[in-house]
Amino acid sequence: MSLVEFRKVTKTFDTVVVLKEVDLAIDAGEVVVLIGPSGSGKSTLLRCINALEQINGGDLVVDGISVKAGSSKIRLIRQEAGMVFQQFNLFPQMTALENVAFGPRRVRGASRREATEQAEALLAKVGLADRGHHYPAELSGGQQQRVAIARALAVKPKLMLFDEPTSALDPELRHEVLRVMQALAEEGMTMIVVTHEMAFARKVGTRLIFMEDGKIAVDGEPADLLAKAENPRLREFLQHVN
Amino acid sequence: MEFDWSVVVDATPALLGGARLTILITLAGLVGGLAVGFIAGLMRAYGNALLNAVAFTYVELVRGTPIVVQVMFIYFALPVLADIRVNPMTAAITAIIVNAGAYIAEIVRGSFLSVHKGLREAGLALGLPTWKVLFYIVGPVAFRRMIPPLGNQFIVSLKDTSLFIVIGVGELTRQGQEIMAANFRAVEIWSAVAILYLIMTGTLTLILRATEKRMRML
Repeated sequence: MSLVEFRKVTKTFDTVVVLKEVDLAIDAGEVVVLIGPSGSGKSTLLRCINALEQINGGDLVVDGISVKAGSSKIRLIRQEAGMVFQQFNLFPQMTALENVAFGPRRVRGASRREATEQAEALLAKVGLADRGHHYPAELSGGQQQRVAIARALAVKPKLMLFDEPTSALDPELRHEVLRVMQALAEEGMTMIVVTHEMAFARKVGTRLIFMEDGKIAVDGEPADLLAKAENPRLREFLQHVN
Repeated sequence: MEFDWSVVVDATPALLGGARLTILITLAGLVGGLAVGFIAGLMRAYGNALLNAVAFTYVELVRGTPIVVQVMFIYFALPVLADIRVNPMTAAITAIIVNAGAYIAEIVRGSFLSVHKGLREAGLALGLPTWKVLFYIVGPVAFRRMIPPLGNQFIVSLKDTSLFIVIGVGELTRQGQEIMAANFRAVEIWSAVAILYLIMTGTLTLILRATEKRMRML
């Protein structure tokens, strides 16, 4: 059974239909890159997976749990699906280390020592071992986003959701975040990434999905699709982002 | 005219006794007012339609009527309406709780809602229930933003206790009024009363400023 399964999912904001009966199955180990013009529904699709947006029609099952199963089940889904945001959203009153230790401590119920040790290991993994005692405001955007990735990983999710993780970063800071994401993919983490980073899609992605107007327009191998985009809208889109 | 210091000296013990009551009413009233204000403010910010309507009605009733009318109502009308008899002190403290609570509710609501919604989403995305997100993540950020407007409200409430002269609570203004009625030394007495208020509000300001300095504002 797939780790994430959309079954005719519809999502509307007031009168605007953002997702139109989307069917999609994602298996463990896939690195899915979601692209598409703004307003095509890619961020919304991502945010439906961990129920930050509630779906209006169809069903969406994550690791065997439906997003319609109620708030306590939704919390279980969220513990299995870590999320990284475009704006980092680190907790400003906590140091980098406290941000990462927060999940294990308050979500998984680890002791303070356990949580701190885990957090130190994760910060080292994202290359920030020496920044643990800095507050988010004292870190660069790239560093903040790496802390945010470590914070999401600390809850030990089965799946990671990335919502334009490099869009708020200067070009020279993007690669440090992308490198961490690539390492994560190489470890076998299941990832769904909304991004405009085509090089990342080609190099790291195992699957590329092009969304248009609330539907999945193209779904296939990144290398294939990027080499010879047959869909005219995809070809046009690629010309604009490259 | 000549400023007669001996009048001030003679009046000091009574005035200090009044100031003590003023502080007592303010402290008890604000502790209660903070509790009521937090609950009502969170009901307004995050409650369902019913909780929201209850809190909204409370805030509007209190903000829309003068505090003198409120304390008169508690002291004179409640005994008639509901057979609840209260002494002047209790009425005074209750009036501050009810009155400050409504204003604090709006301060709490405003500062919680001013916190970037991304923080709330980041907390929820970790798998926490909403109350934990509010308690551990949004609350601490909101609390720092509350300090300046709360400071305002604390000072207003402290000075509002002077209105309880109307129900005969022996707070500072009432003490001044009584001494004045006996010796007619308006300048000395009201100067002394004003300075005692300034000392109390000044101390509050210093405490608030120290609190603000100790916290990293976010």
